[in-house]
Amino acid sequence: MKDSTLLFRSLATIVFIVGIAHLASYASQKDDINYNYQESIDSNQKSVFPEDGKSKSNNNPETDYIIGKWKVNYNIEDFNGSVFYNIKKEGKYFNAYTYQYQDKNGNTEKAEGLKTLIIKSFDGYQGKGVYTIEYEQQQYQVDCQIDMVDENTFKLSYDYYGYSDVESWKRQ
Amino acid sequence: MIEFLSKKLDWIDVEYWFYILNDLSLVYIIVPFFILELVRYAYLKKLNKNLILDSVANLITFGAFFLIEIILGLLAITKAYFWIYNNISLPHLELNWITIITCILLADFAYYWEHRMMHRIGIGWATHTVHHSSPHFNMSVAYRFGPLDAIMPILFSLPIVMLGYDPILVLLSEVFVQVFQTLLHTEIIGKLIKPVEYIFNTPSHHRVHHGSNRQYWDKNYAGILIIWDRMFSTFEPEVEKVRYGISEPLNSNNPIKVFFHGISRLIRKLKKVNGFKNKLLVFIKPPDWMPTNK
Repeated sequence: MKDSTLLFRSLATIVFIVGIAHLASYASQKDDINYNYQESIDSNQKSVFPEDGKSKSNNNPETDYIIGKWKVNYNIEDFNGSVFYNIKKEGKYFNAYTYQYQDKNGNTEKAEGLKTLIIKSFDGYQGKGVYTIEYEQQQYQVDCQIDMVDENTFKLSYDYYGYSDVESWKRQ
Repeated sequence: MIEFLSKKLDWIDVEYWFYILNDLSLVYIIVPFFILELVRYAYLKKLNKNLILDSVANLITFGAFFLIEIILGLLAITKAYFWIYNNISLPHLELNWITIITCILLADFAYYWEHRMMHRIGIGWATHTVHHSSPHFNMSVAYRFGPLDAIMPILFSLPIVMLGYDPILVLLSEVFVQVFQTLLHTEIIGKLIKPVEYIFNTPSHHRVHHGSNRQYWDKNYAGILIIWDRMFSTFEPEVEKVRYGISEPLNSNNPIKVFFHGISRLIRKLKKVNGFKNKLLVFIKPPDWMPTNK
């Protein structure tokens, strides 16, 4: 086979493979940019119309009832007490932020407002999202499942390489 | 499907999968398979002192190669890779399935050309001949490396980093190709079904690559996909019974002799060749090249 044929076939192979990778990466980043742009529009609307709380066009009573304050009890080696979360609707997702810690004796402390849970899909009964867990001072984002027990309780479950748990979230 | 393939992945997950596929493969497939090969040799009454010493020499050459690889890796490779990645690369690719699959494909393609170069230029063959010098063919032969075997792949993987792939992903993909290659060093598995033999490199194709029969010389360079050999006219099917080894046999199981015989043969050739230009050409011309005016 001629050297020129070897060269052109090689270049064509590389361009084809790398082209696919860059196209996919570009398309995926473009989606992220569009989504972030939509999110920023939503947050602007909130600040302009503070009474509304959230954009009217974004309202969905079948799912939005999950918005609000929730309490989770933990009894683990690192922490024995409760964490209070505030679930907000931001763009397409529901995000849960920590706002208060309470130890087993009832002493409370203001939390840092960490985004701990992102519910990416929710139909009013079940949902899926990403939950942040901490293990040996290292944070991990794990896929999780949401299952509503009733309108004031839901179960959050995850399984991360054999490290699994089910948390019960109670409305405040 | 496209949504799944382009979904962002966590590094911790990707490293975990590669850890199972690359690092742990030694425990769950390579060592058990080698034991099976030893049992087969014993059953066929081929388990002799020469085979055992050959296998021991293979592992010792791997130790020496690994030491060079670590020194190179710590001192230069990772730094060079990251410098290129941060300064002269295409836009960085996101970590998703498409990036991983295409990176493995490119690592495999780079392996084909690197491997072909090892066979077709003097300095390449001086180190790679070590791998081919065993008269046996089993998993331990996959670990029989020459002193410069760690250097050549760098030249071919740096361009992948320049194309926007994360250096760590490139290194993991290269190891993955190498692990796949390791599994091909066996006589236990015959020919596989035709579609597999057509697309993938198989033990049958790789036996041909290790053959010293004239028609098998410089054939089947592939790592994972044999289609590269089909594309570039270096494919040869296994027809005649393969005779393993090199055209000028080594006839030694001394690990030091095994590890350095290619380099010492190159030095002997350099001494025979006259003129600076010709000496230089010995490094880059095919291994059987000799100047016409000699």
